[in-house]
Amino acid sequence: MQLYVRWHSRAGQGAVTGAKALAEVMSQQGKYVQAYSVYGAEKRGAPMMAFDKISDEPINDHSKGINPDYILVIDPSLVFNPEILNDTHENTKFIVTTHMSKEELLAMPQAAHLKGKNLFVVDAIKISQEDIGRAMPNTPILAAFIKISEVVSPESFLDTMKVILSKFPQKIIDGNIKAMTRAMEEVK
Amino acid sequence: MATPTERLENWDEFEIGAVLKSFDENGNYSRDHSKTYKVADWRVEKPVFNRDICIDCDMCWVACPDSCFIVEEVVNKRGKKQANIVGIDYDHCKGCAVCVEVCPTPIKSLLMFPEFEDNNNALANWPKKEKKDK
Amino acid sequence: MAEKYELKTKEVWDGNTAASHALRQAQVDVVAAYPITPSTPIVQNYSSYLADGYVDGEFVMVESEHSAMSACVGASAAGGRVATATSSQGYALMVEVLYQASGMRLPIVMTVVNRALASPLNIHGDHGDLYLGRDAGWIHLIANNPQEAYDMTLCAFKIAEDEDVRLPVTTNQDGFLVSHTAQIVEPLDDETAYKFVGDYKQKNPMLDFDHPVTYGAQTEEEWHFEHKARQHKALMDSPKVIEKVFAEFKELTGREYKLVESHNMEDAEVAIVAMGSNYETAKIAADEARKAGIKAGVVCPRSFRPFPIKEMAETLKNVKAIAALDRNCPMGTIGALHNEVAGAINAFGQNAIITGYIYGLGGRDTTVAHNLEVFKDLAMNAEAGKRVTPLQKFINLRGPELSFFKVGE
Repeated sequence: MQLYVRWHSRAGQGAVTGAKALAEVMSQQGKYVQAYSVYGAEKRGAPMMAFDKISDEPINDHSKGINPDYILVIDPSLVFNPEILNDTHENTKFIVTTHMSKEELLAMPQAAHLKGKNLFVVDAIKISQEDIGRAMPNTPILAAFIKISEVVSPESFLDTMKVILSKFPQKIIDGNIKAMTRAMEEVK
Repeated sequence: MATPTERLENWDEFEIGAVLKSFDENGNYSRDHSKTYKVADWRVEKPVFNRDICIDCDMCWVACPDSCFIVEEVVNKRGKKQANIVGIDYDHCKGCAVCVEVCPTPIKSLLMFPEFEDNNNALANWPKKEKKDK
Repeated sequence: MAEKYELKTKEVWDGNTAASHALRQAQVDVVAAYPITPSTPIVQNYSSYLADGYVDGEFVMVESEHSAMSACVGASAAGGRVATATSSQGYALMVEVLYQASGMRLPIVMTVVNRALASPLNIHGDHGDLYLGRDAGWIHLIANNPQEAYDMTLCAFKIAEDEDVRLPVTTNQDGFLVSHTAQIVEPLDDETAYKFVGDYKQKNPMLDFDHPVTYGAQTEEEWHFEHKARQHKALMDSPKVIEKVFAEFKELTGREYKLVESHNMEDAEVAIVAMGSNYETAKIAADEARKAGIKAGVVCPRSFRPFPIKEMAETLKNVKAIAALDRNCPMGTIGALHNEVAGAINAFGQNAIITGYIYGLGGRDTTVAHNLEVFKDLAMNAEAGKRVTPLQKFINLRGPELSFFKVGE
């Protein structure tokens, strides 16, 4: 099994942390992983990408480019950038954060590049604002990915996330668990 | 060459890292310690110390680059401990004359004399303070 | 006494995290550092472990990398276990003091995250800084992934502090490609790791007031040559200790390291020699090249200094064509690694055709396909029995092909 995931985010939204959390979750399942990101000297708010390589075999390829099986867009404005299609294939699944329904999004001329794609939407920004208390959409998007990809059961995913989040105050942990549970329900 | 020929060791013989030890295994000053390295023959002129004029400000002791001023602990008239300059270590003095330069007394209590001059002779011929007519 | 840090048997760590845990487990006494991207997290993590009670030591904040290495020299001469980390421009500023550390035979460990040198400014990985320290008298160990960054850092202390070595050691990992790439790392528990590294053995410590010593002697023409020759001998003899430490490490972990690592070299006719993360990428390319009928192998010197001349020649003795991949612009020659490998095979009377490739400058992506192209070049040279490709080529460079010493020119 080989699985490639690419995150599109803005610096500061937690894509690197999200990618590392996914790597941690998958390593607990006995997989080999690589989580990394590509960014320049940009500051908070600049568009950036993070990557996960997941495999049954040790991962020796240190080149940056992948053909993603999943695209996770955690900033609503980046959905409109056609570059999120780069290096994807016909079965690539797109999980994007937006306040719109799938139909509303696809009706927008700026989202024309997503027509005919395997698209899933979830409002990770709103969920994180309401449940975590700030716009930190990385964990809800990760949860949506777990739901869609079924790479691991929601229960063991949440268990691992509790361990990963254990360095945070209980309030933050509870908020994240709530947000992730909700994202798994709401992703369409 | 600064190192005597008989002391030039081969590459596999000395302490690594150019580290110099102050004492040998018996606790004696090692040959690398400056105490055992005499430089008297570097001098052309020598400083002579005049105890009678010295005010024990210790400026020479501070300034000497080779720690050549020999001091003695004494108790002064107010009952406090004090370091008195008692002489010069001529084994380690290179004759640089910095001590003479920093000596603050109106007539210097340190002066340079030719290496061959006898110290008692030098002291006997020490400059005198000129008495001003009033 | 430091608190125990709970570790899982399998952690997902990037190279920086891995190296910083090795510093913590070695219970480094003094870290003096001026953090710089991409090695910042190593010293940042160490200071966190210190603040949280997981290590007994001192973190000295200084005003430049020159001061960082100077403080390391002082602390090491004083008699402590000392480490730091740097990259790129910081490494460049340290260079003067690197020579001091090795000349004074101080076993400092520096975890280097390799990054390109300005100008133009760039924070990403290449081997410009590693090559800058090439002749500084340090042992330079190469780590190609986060696990190796951890393993090499633990081994580095044991090698540096061995009484037959007493030389400073750098552990090198590629900026971002290793330092910021999280992979599975299997750490040792704190106790086992510390036991492997062992208690620090002082040699001529300045803080031993019963045995005062002077560091930093001046040696002119009557002494300097002998001192430098002796230092060189220690470096030339160090492979024995490196191999001994690697053997102990294998005993403990099952992970085997050699002076020269190789992949598919048993029957290889063509070989890529590379250091850093591309060694692993090239291994995949070698496997694919074999599917296309090219008997391909890959070689990596585990220590860049001392350069394993004999082992390198031995590993390459049956190949017909070699490509040495330098992740650094050699600015006026073919490449440092190319020249080392060419010298090694020549010294043992081997006559494989050798070419040089420049790749990955400033973090430029180098893929399996790129390495495969190199193997195709090598197959052409091997087939022809003479060099038919240029002596120096550039991988994944934008623009018209740039190469030097084309055949027939």
